[in-house]
Amino acid sequence: MSVDRWPAPSTTVVTGAAGWLGQALLHRLVADPARQRIRVLVRDNTEADAVKPVLDAAEARSQVVVGDIANPRTVDQLFDGVGADCDVLHTAGVIHPQRIQHLFDVNTTGTEHMVTAAAKAGVRRFTHVSSNSPFGTNPHPDDVFRADEPYHPYMAYGRSKMQGELAVFAAVEGGLDASIVRPPWFYGPFQPPRQTTFFRMVRNGKFPVIAGGHQRRSMVYVDNLVDGLLLAELTPQARGKGYWIADAKPYLVTEIVDTVGRALRDEGFSVKDGALRLPALAARVAEVADGLIQGTGRYQQQLHVLGEMGHTIACDIALARVELGYDPTVDLYEGMRRSIRWCVENGLEL
Amino acid sequence: MSGLTASMPRLDAEVLIIGSGAGGATTAALLAEAGIDVLIVEEGPWVDQGSVTPFSLEQMDQQYRAGGVTVALGLPSIAYTEGRCAGGGTEVNSGLYFRPPVDVIERWSAQHRIRDLDPDALSVIAAEIEQALTVSTVPGRTTPASEILRDGAAALGWQHNEIPRWMAYPPGGDAVTGKRQSMTRTFLPRAFAAGARMIVDCRVDRLHMAGGTGRSAAVTFADGSTGVITFRDVIVCGGAIQSPALLQRSGIHGYIGRTLAVHPTVKLSARFRDEVNVPDDVPVHQVKEFAPDLSFGGSASHPGLVALALTDHWKAFSKSVVQWRQIAIYYAAITSEGRGWVRAIPGLRDPLVTYRLSHRDRQLLRSGLARLTLLMLEADAEEVYPSFRGAPIVRNRADIASMQQAFAVSKASVMTVHLCSSVPMGELPGRSGADSFGRVHGTSNVFVNDASLLPTAPGVNPQATVMAIAIRNARHFISSRSTTDTRSTTDTRNIKGHHER
Amino acid sequence: MRPVPSAPIVGPFADRLLALDLPHLDPARRRDTVEFVTRRVDSLPSVMHLGVLVIATVFRLVVATPLADRFVRLMSHLALPLLGEYVRLVRSLGYAYIWESWPDTQANGASTPEHIR
Repeated sequence: MSVDRWPAPSTTVVTGAAGWLGQALLHRLVADPARQRIRVLVRDNTEADAVKPVLDAAEARSQVVVGDIANPRTVDQLFDGVGADCDVLHTAGVIHPQRIQHLFDVNTTGTEHMVTAAAKAGVRRFTHVSSNSPFGTNPHPDDVFRADEPYHPYMAYGRSKMQGELAVFAAVEGGLDASIVRPPWFYGPFQPPRQTTFFRMVRNGKFPVIAGGHQRRSMVYVDNLVDGLLLAELTPQARGKGYWIADAKPYLVTEIVDTVGRALRDEGFSVKDGALRLPALAARVAEVADGLIQGTGRYQQQLHVLGEMGHTIACDIALARVELGYDPTVDLYEGMRRSIRWCVENGLEL
Repeated sequence: MSGLTASMPRLDAEVLIIGSGAGGATTAALLAEAGIDVLIVEEGPWVDQGSVTPFSLEQMDQQYRAGGVTVALGLPSIAYTEGRCAGGGTEVNSGLYFRPPVDVIERWSAQHRIRDLDPDALSVIAAEIEQALTVSTVPGRTTPASEILRDGAAALGWQHNEIPRWMAYPPGGDAVTGKRQSMTRTFLPRAFAAGARMIVDCRVDRLHMAGGTGRSAAVTFADGSTGVITFRDVIVCGGAIQSPALLQRSGIHGYIGRTLAVHPTVKLSARFRDEVNVPDDVPVHQVKEFAPDLSFGGSASHPGLVALALTDHWKAFSKSVVQWRQIAIYYAAITSEGRGWVRAIPGLRDPLVTYRLSHRDRQLLRSGLARLTLLMLEADAEEVYPSFRGAPIVRNRADIASMQQAFAVSKASVMTVHLCSSVPMGELPGRSGADSFGRVHGTSNVFVNDASLLPTAPGVNPQATVMAIAIRNARHFISSRSTTDTRSTTDTRNIKGHHER
Repeated sequence: MRPVPSAPIVGPFADRLLALDLPHLDPARRRDTVEFVTRRVDSLPSVMHLGVLVIATVFRLVVATPLADRFVRLMSHLALPLLGEYVRLVRSLGYAYIWESWPDTQANGASTPEHIR
């Protein structure tokens, strides 16, 4: 398949550089000598320290801006002197916030600042990382989200990400060249410490499986996502479009639990058989409780995750395959083994 | 129409066929052509095609049961319509033709243990039907409302088709020039030519049973007078509501009326820049991207129906009613996991019909309405008016999110025109209403041969499937009868009937 | 069992509802429409017919009082179960008839003058 591609730009701007996706992306960018200047945005000095090792490898090619994306002055600083041969990879986002308002500050307002500044700078391509959450959940387990779907945001996170997308599309109308990637649930190296719970639950036979686990979930290995993100950046045809970027196919929830268990065993861990089998009602109750708590401006991660587990969230990557030439190479088993090894190497307790 | 017979207090037939729609008319034609003395009774009137405006209130008055106002109670209730005229639903439906879906037939055959239900054999029958009804696509232009479905789906990359119809078109003719090849133009004249008789405006109140054998039918004519029709065999083809209700009124209590299946639909109206409304025709395109779970199509959209659709949120929508020429109505239909009941209630003329949607059904209806709305925006709709109470006007994608937030199936105008499965055929002990060829379990000579037999709703417009199954069963009836015809009921009346040919 | 004719029970409410909803609808047209609505109610299937008559009787009693207009307005705004369905039925039938019979009727019931059709 031959798809038209641009060469790497002289300047690459990355937001959310210290995040899960951001770090995986940064490793890839630093390894590419064609990326002459890499300018990253991190939130604070702790994050700056986190990206230091990888940026040290890039030496003089890298520049770090520290500040809050919700602050327009920070964003102006980020775009200062970038020139037109510049691409923006906007990965910054909040998914599990302290307070609900934080979702909108970063995912919506931050994105608005970014597209405004990018348009002013006249960048070549702005690629925005969205989510499945603006589209909610599939109406039944066999349904798959097509390339283009109506918005049906799931909770406050979904609304904040939907408004982020709308800001990007509005900027496209205004002349900005932008594309969007929509990753579902992702996994892989650079995971934040909270994600080790996931492995622990599987190891202890306590991963919540709702109503028999017939739901399907699209997932994306973080390096597959980096592939898709860079393709959405470098493919001229992607202007004004959104793409699902996920592993080759959605997985059944039971398949996920089995595969992760197998990966853990093959990496030498002991795994208890079974899962925490819950009735559909449990997930419904959790979902309602999550909604009520979010209504008060607060957020409870376990409830949120449990509530969502009762649903199918499956997407079709056909458009990314055709228009971007995206071809995910890592599957769940291999991706999980790599994640487990990464956790071990980085001293995370599983 | 020759073949119509006057009412008389006492009548007799070798085979009495109750109902003259997709099931009854085909059965009548095949049996009559095999030399069987057939009498068809039809509750509604004979209305010639073309004598009333299609999809009008006048048509609903004349050719629909209860003027088209019939409801399956539930949360929400589901409005449905039934044809009640010579030719039944075939006179008034959209005319869209789908071959019996092979996967559905295979599933029915396996899950309901239906003997000799062969998809290939049904395809051969379907080919006969296609010829008999001149099933064809529109040679000229389809209507603007139809092209909106096509264009919107194309813009989204969603699979869509022009669905052929049983219409006869003049060469190069546009959609509206089609002449509907309904039962009054096809199988009923065929039945008459083979000697069948028919009485219209004649309602069957009940069958008199002796043990498991039907002896006669008690009927009421249009003038209120009553009569009795004796028969050797009776074939009930009143549709998925009336057939089980008649069996129940007759004291037949097998697995009947407990598994009504429908394709529930939600709808919306969409306003465009140009005039798109064609009052007396429906779109021929359907969007099958999400089939069989979810299908999109176009509805009748005469100004009365546009006004009706806008009443769901009249305060917000009413200003657009004067622009009805720019408005067309569309539906999202689902295959439903839910089931309904048809219960005859002693002392009442009509049965109680209920239907219950499942959780999945509700999710699908919501998602279907949203996806259909998106399609309308992609087809350049200026405004979309979803049909549920208090719905917002949708002008852009962000509005769809608000719409889905506000949506609840309980607020929606849910309706259906496809009713089936209330006397499911098969050999499942205690779970089939009729045997593999439509004989009602527990009876020797009472048959059903209409949409009631389909074990589930087929996921497509069902008329062709109903007809194909009816023809299959009618042939089985004829062949099994000729081999076992040792009963001596073939008396003089029938011989006379045959000689008239 | 002969059905009870609905005109005396349903008619006055349908008339008030249409008069309030569509204040500029010509009274002769309104009468026609009310007649159509009651005819359709008469032909409803048994269970619905009974249900509608029960609810309609309650409405009929209130419509006979000076509170009629306020009541009709209230009922058409509150979407109550069952009671709301009756309002919805009458309105649906009425509007379908009006716009099919006189397609250029405006949202307030006025007929559109010839020159702007």
